[in-house]
Amino acid sequence: MFRFIIRRLVITVPLVLVVISLTWGLIRLAPGNFYSSEKALPPAIEKNIREKYGLDKPWYVQYGRMIGNVLRGDFGLSLRYQGQSVNQILAQTLPVSATLGLLAYGLALVVGVAAGTLAAVKQNSRLDYISMALAMLGISVPNFVLGPILVLIFSLNLYWLPPSRWGGFPSWNLVLPVLTLSAVYMAYIARLTRAGMLEVLRSDYIRTARAKGLSERAVIFRHAMRGGLLPVVSFTGPALAFLISGTVVVERIFALPGLGNYFINASLNRDEPLIIGIVAFTSILIMLLNLAVDIAYGLIDPRIRY
Amino acid sequence: MSERSDERLTGIEDTVNGKPHLISPEEMVPDRAEAFGAQDEEAVAGVSLWRDAWRRLLRNKLAVFGLIVVILIALASLIGPPIIRWATGYTYDYIPRDPDLIRAFPPFTAPDGSFSWAHPMGTDTAGRDLLARVLIGGRISLLVGIISTLVSLLIGVAYGATAGYLGGRVDNVMMRIVDVLYALPYMMIVIVLLAVFGQRSPMGQLILLFIALGSVSWLTMARIVRGQVISLKNQEFILAARATGVSTPKIIFRHLVPNVLGPVIVYATLTVPSVMLQEAFLSFLGLGVQAPLSSWGSLVAEGIQNIAIFPWQMIFPGATMALTLFSLNFLGDGLRDALDPQMRKV
Amino acid sequence: MSGLIFGGRRMRGRAIGSTILALTLAIASCSVQSGEAEYFGKTAPPEGQVLRYVSGAEPESLDPQMSTGQPEARLYMALYEGLVEYHPVTLEPIPAIAERWEVSADSTEFTFYLRRNARWSNGEPITAQDFVYTFRRGLSPELASRAAYLAYYIKYAQAYNEGGVFVRDPRTGEFLLKRDVPPSGDESAPSAEGATVIEGGAPDTPFHRFIRSPSRLVLPGTEQERARLFAANPKLKSFVAGKEFVPVRAEDIGVEAVDDYTLRITLDQPAPFFVKLLAHQLFRVVPRKAIERYGEAWTKPGNIITSGPFILQSHRPYSEIVMVRNPYYWDAANVKLDKLIFYPIEDMTTMMNLYKAGYIDATYNHTVPTGWVDFVRRLKDYMDAPEASISYVMINTTRPPMNDIRVRRAFSLAIDRQALAKYLRVVKPLTAFSPEGIFPNYPQPKGEDFNPELARKLLAAAGYRDAAGNYDPSKFPVSEVEYVYNTSDRNKEVAEFLQAQWKQNLGLTIPIRNMEWKTFLDYRAKLNYKGFARGAWVSDYMDPNTFLSLFYTRGGDNGTGWWDPKYMRLLDQANRTLDPQRRYELLAKAEKYLLDACPIIPLATYATNWLKKPYVKGMYPNPMTLHPWKFVYIEHDPAKWDRGMPQMAEVVR
Repeated sequence: MFRFIIRRLVITVPLVLVVISLTWGLIRLAPGNFYSSEKALPPAIEKNIREKYGLDKPWYVQYGRMIGNVLRGDFGLSLRYQGQSVNQILAQTLPVSATLGLLAYGLALVVGVAAGTLAAVKQNSRLDYISMALAMLGISVPNFVLGPILVLIFSLNLYWLPPSRWGGFPSWNLVLPVLTLSAVYMAYIARLTRAGMLEVLRSDYIRTARAKGLSERAVIFRHAMRGGLLPVVSFTGPALAFLISGTVVVERIFALPGLGNYFINASLNRDEPLIIGIVAFTSILIMLLNLAVDIAYGLIDPRIRY
Repeated sequence: MSERSDERLTGIEDTVNGKPHLISPEEMVPDRAEAFGAQDEEAVAGVSLWRDAWRRLLRNKLAVFGLIVVILIALASLIGPPIIRWATGYTYDYIPRDPDLIRAFPPFTAPDGSFSWAHPMGTDTAGRDLLARVLIGGRISLLVGIISTLVSLLIGVAYGATAGYLGGRVDNVMMRIVDVLYALPYMMIVIVLLAVFGQRSPMGQLILLFIALGSVSWLTMARIVRGQVISLKNQEFILAARATGVSTPKIIFRHLVPNVLGPVIVYATLTVPSVMLQEAFLSFLGLGVQAPLSSWGSLVAEGIQNIAIFPWQMIFPGATMALTLFSLNFLGDGLRDALDPQMRKV
Repeated sequence: MSGLIFGGRRMRGRAIGSTILALTLAIASCSVQSGEAEYFGKTAPPEGQVLRYVSGAEPESLDPQMSTGQPEARLYMALYEGLVEYHPVTLEPIPAIAERWEVSADSTEFTFYLRRNARWSNGEPITAQDFVYTFRRGLSPELASRAAYLAYYIKYAQAYNEGGVFVRDPRTGEFLLKRDVPPSGDESAPSAEGATVIEGGAPDTPFHRFIRSPSRLVLPGTEQERARLFAANPKLKSFVAGKEFVPVRAEDIGVEAVDDYTLRITLDQPAPFFVKLLAHQLFRVVPRKAIERYGEAWTKPGNIITSGPFILQSHRPYSEIVMVRNPYYWDAANVKLDKLIFYPIEDMTTMMNLYKAGYIDATYNHTVPTGWVDFVRRLKDYMDAPEASISYVMINTTRPPMNDIRVRRAFSLAIDRQALAKYLRVVKPLTAFSPEGIFPNYPQPKGEDFNPELARKLLAAAGYRDAAGNYDPSKFPVSEVEYVYNTSDRNKEVAEFLQAQWKQNLGLTIPIRNMEWKTFLDYRAKLNYKGFARGAWVSDYMDPNTFLSLFYTRGGDNGTGWWDPKYMRLLDQANRTLDPQRRYELLAKAEKYLLDACPIIPLATYATNWLKKPYVKGMYPNPMTLHPWKFVYIEHDPAKWDRGMPQMAEVVR
């Protein structure tokens, strides 16, 4: 196991470099430049800009400089946001996205697992139907619809909660975005949990546990959940990576200074250092989380070997 | 898909049926191995997997309901717009000539405020008939939802199953490729795709859209399938198949894939909504449906802006989409049950 | 493990149906239309003198010389001041750091007299040298400012910015003059120019004598470009043979500090509108001290030194920018706001929500979504006035069938602009290329309006007709034409409307296509588009020239491939005219010439379309939605609130 982890960690470095190089190529292929705008620039001014940012150098020089920056862990200055370094931007926006993502996922986990377990234990009851109907609703209603509806009800008519903007942690501003963000995950997790639990509850070892005379509570919490949550674990990797690296829809609806907003705008602005910085960060995150999932998988299900 | 003996399965079914908790999966495995593997080679005449599954599906009322609704909606999208045009003269892109009519009217309301059948779903801000737009949107959204899900199914299942079964170095390499693709900035890919292939015909645009949608949705599918296959591949029926010298592709596609089809289908129905919504995002980048054509995703996205003023602009496309997704999910659940003999009687 | 995802198989349809129904009802009951409100949402003013303003996109930079955008301009107006400031209602230049100025009779020399009490936010005086530094910095190739072209009217400014060279005779040490250059043959003789006597004003200086002397010859800085020039004009090559090239330096541009409080600017050509330009962010004075000390980081809170009524307290990207009053500002006694908070938000629905719930006090222009306008327009906080910006369709005149002026005219005639304006709700129909109702006394020409009859005739005349000579839509090559636009709800509405109009009036279904912004710009600038592209222009300064000069050059913002030397001469002639009214007449003549050539289809003059709470005073729906913040304040007495749009005639102190 230890060697497996080391191997995976070591291979992450070249993989991230591959991702970055491909991304760099994509940026070069995309039409337009970070400085192009509604008002066309006189050629001389364009030349000045290209010289200032080293765009007049051959591609391999630019590529080498970019890779050098990445290896040093310094992504350089944003092209669009003058005077802001990419590292600074990451440091400022990451906490916002992470707070939002972790809270939303935490909420989804608690509610989803509880609802899913209850639904599985009381299969075919009214509780089961209602929670699964809500889960279906959660999956079918996109967050760009849910968010505005929540705002309409709780901020514009009841005036209970602020409609948007970042207010730090903790604050009332977080309530609506976290709810909006977690709805879909809640629904997914509820369905996954229910499915996993149903399967496990039928299995041998649960029967054995029951036969030993353990209380139902102990059976469920100590034995069934271990296996029943396996699907949830495998879902957690990609979901968390996605949530932490920012979800642009929710950030836009609630005007939050998170990573997602930056990333979409960086792509639209062709802001190379910022794109590279965010992609590097998210790819590391994705690979580490997938590794964590694989490890967790092996720990929970001893049949799986690498 | 392979033919297989139905008798054995029926046998298991009866046993399970009679005493639901007395047979453990381990006990079932040899039977299963025969059912899926060894006997397979003998080409026993019998009811095909699909025929059998279809029969079971028809027994599931909700699934049948879902199937009927999906078919109805698809039919309505297909023949609805010409009918509306014939009956009322409205099309999805008809903006009234009279400037006073270029505004949003509530459902069943004539310009003077009286009751009217002209616009059962009201109109959008440009005075266009919302029903016609929702139906036209259904064409695109259903097509997008189903085709790109199928694409992701084909690639994702094959890829994930291969990686999971072969394991070791191959698995490692294949899954790292998935990681890399997952980490690439999707938006930049789409922008470049458009710049390179953007000036194509509307049909070309549609194909480009399917490529863009299918190219990412298979990644998660591959992960899920791989996870399933890894936990299945050391089970006895696969070991048995391997021992009898069945070739690797056969093991993967005839023995492993049928056993993960159930969860795969349910997962696929879950991706349909996300694909439909993603289409709306891609049209922001200029990929896919071009205005004035609509899709449910774009109608909902437009409607949500006006929800406080013209709620019907969100509610009708949203409800149509939700109804479709619900139906698809029922259908998915039904299919899953029908294809997974183990789960039938639970 | 086979049951990964399992759903309830027998969910009751009724339960789901009723959930949807309940949600629908909840939403419907929340519609904002309930009740007869006077204003949109809450009207409780914030505590004290604090303004919370939505400024649009996250600013690219807090360095006024770096960004050309309007969202940034609004921030810069709080932090930096120039020689002049915009009038809050008319946007005409009013005295700022310069308390008065003189213009030479030929409009080529401007002398500004600075206030003695103008100070930086660190208490140090702002002097003419600071302005010289600012102008030179804005033009320096190293800074690579995107707005530098605005200063090209200043003598040798373009040469310096482009890295050009003077030509000097090594033997005599004399510089070669522009007027001595032998003409290449195809251009008209250089305009007569020379030393003009300047009456009164600041004393003469050696620099002044240099800058007023006949213009030196300027050539491109690189060997390559010079070679290209020489190839075109061999006489020029022999003219400069054996001479040495001297780079144009920052010290050569026509900006001079005559003394600490006198700044003299000399232009290359007459530009009567030059003072109007000086309120632009490029010319707002920047602190040399902070820039030289901190480099790129000089705009960070703590490092920054400002010249305007406010100083930067904090900046959290994508969240908020907080400014507080600058105690050293020369007019600090009249600045009423203690705090100014900018929220960089772009999502209109989010803005409307914040506004209605009372979390913001005003928004920037074009922020009320089309669907909301009918509802909001009745309320008293809606700001609706014509804007110095226009919407039009660009035509690629280089490709058939659009290279035929009859076809271009036909497409223009087939658009019902009244209907468009009614549909978009926030624009006014336009048939000219300058905004309507913005420039007083400008005799704006009228272009052709809606006439589908004539449009069809023109198309028939252009060859799209059947045997009987009647217009036949099936003959028109629809596949050779498209309308492209950059993604935005508003642009889509226009595109769909145009398509419907052409379909109804010409029987042609022109495909429309949207593109992501930068892709669109690239596509349009390279004239890759077939037929039509969306165009819009916002004025840089309050003069028709800011619109008409788009077609002065073939490249740049022209975007249509149409270029006519006659049009260029008409503009030149107008801008050389010193009498303002006569100049306007000549500009109008040029505009008419442009409209007749029809490289564009004018659609509409935009309207301001924004919201302001009644307690916000001193903010006006002016044509560029630029607000000099020192005039803005919060009125806590409801009796004095604005009921409807503020009186535009109201005299500002």
